[in-house]
Amino acid sequence: MTGASGAGKSSLLSMIYLARKPSAGRIRLFERDVTTLSRPETAMMRRKIGVVFQDFRLLDHLTALENVALPLKISGQRDEKVRRHVAELLAWVGLSEHLDSYPPTLSGGQKQRVAIARAVVGRPSLLIADEPTGNVDDRMAVRLLYLFEELNKLGTTIVIATHNESLVARFDHPVVRLVDGGVRVDRPRKGRA
Amino acid sequence: MMLFARRDVPLDSDASGRFLPWLVAIMVYLAALALISALTMSRAIGHWQEGLSGTLTIQIPPDQVVAKAKSAPDALDRVLDLLIATPGVREAKVMEPEEIERLLRPWLGAAASLAELPVPVLISVTFNPAAEPDFAALARAVAKISPDAVVDTHQAWLGKVRDLARTVQGIAILVVVLIAGCAVMIVAFATRMGLSVHGHVIELLHLIGARDSYVASQFQAHVLSFALRGGMIGLLLAVGTVFLAGEVLKGSEAMVLPELALQPLDWSVLLLLPVAVALVATLTARFTVLRTLARMP
Repeated sequence: MTGASGAGKSSLLSMIYLARKPSAGRIRLFERDVTTLSRPETAMMRRKIGVVFQDFRLLDHLTALENVALPLKISGQRDEKVRRHVAELLAWVGLSEHLDSYPPTLSGGQKQRVAIARAVVGRPSLLIADEPTGNVDDRMAVRLLYLFEELNKLGTTIVIATHNESLVARFDHPVVRLVDGGVRVDRPRKGRA
Repeated sequence: MMLFARRDVPLDSDASGRFLPWLVAIMVYLAALALISALTMSRAIGHWQEGLSGTLTIQIPPDQVVAKAKSAPDALDRVLDLLIATPGVREAKVMEPEEIERLLRPWLGAAASLAELPVPVLISVTFNPAAEPDFAALARAVAKISPDAVVDTHQAWLGKVRDLARTVQGIAILVVVLIAGCAVMIVAFATRMGLSVHGHVIELLHLIGARDSYVASQFQAHVLSFALRGGMIGLLLAVGTVFLAGEVLKGSEAMVLPELALQPLDWSVLLLLPVAVALVATLTARFTVLRTLARMP
């Protein structure tokens, strides 16, 4: 999803990850109209959605490991396997050296990867990433997008918001453009390298 | 498991985490003192009632009791004869001058001599526990012998003491109720403050799928721990105060004051106090969180 600054990318995303309700219209997710969900139903649906926030929103008083384990803890998984699973996930994003580090001691790129690990730890059906490449250099941005592609191949629907047109051009995925309060969808062009 | 030991909402690092245990301690301290005074009072009343219900005292003015040497029976002898004839009387004892002097010394001083004072003759009457004496009839019979004699059944005095005790107990209950209300308000206020201070953490917990009850449990755990800590501190301070007060009063001649020793029942009531406070505080925190969150979009 792309669009100029202020076009409404974050607003649209926040409605998709159920942080806000639309003032008009409806949003359908997982066969449900989310505007009619009760609070407990909303909580249950949020567990199917992983979000990488633009500002990461890590809890500074918890370690990287505890931050990533949080969605599992909230959904009631508290056995020994969780620790191993979370540690493996952090190793996968290249943070095995930083399991017990606190977010304020991590670099922007490291925090981003912790945030991504937290977003995917609960095996969400839908992953939403708001400007996941905003705070990192181009090399890291490309690496992260390849990581999202991997997840996509494993069966997760992924929505990425970015204003980085060169990144959009590098990947061959449908693009939603927010222009002048409207939406335009570009299907991938076949045969493009 | 260590991974889940820490609370997601860092309430312990708040200023509230430092002063709230002491607020609870002070509240439990005051409530415990109020309860101890009420319990001690009711036990003392019980003792007094037990001690006095089977007794009465008859005072005969000194001018109607003449020298023992006189052959004709005086008012004292006739009253004693009457008492011996009254059914249910176990003992009728004329108080020795030494005993009266001992009782009066705190008021009159050691220098006073009874011989120079118009001190009435006192007869202490004890009834059989099973007897139901007719105090009115006895008083009439005594009045016939000696119109100025006073028959004191202690009922009026006991009634006043009972009123006093009920007042003290009523005030104690009021104090405990007010303190409970105070605890509820303080916990509700602190919880609301915690909710707004940690708004970003709570929002995040919600966004990753936490139910309101999960957020509430974070606050409950925090409140339970500080309320129990504060409650125990308050209780220890209260028990220490009672112990010290008991030591101080032991030395004085305040015989009228009830003994400040705690009975097993008192102990269980007192131990229940911090538990009750912790329970009230925890429920208040839960209710406050759930109500506040339900109002959010």
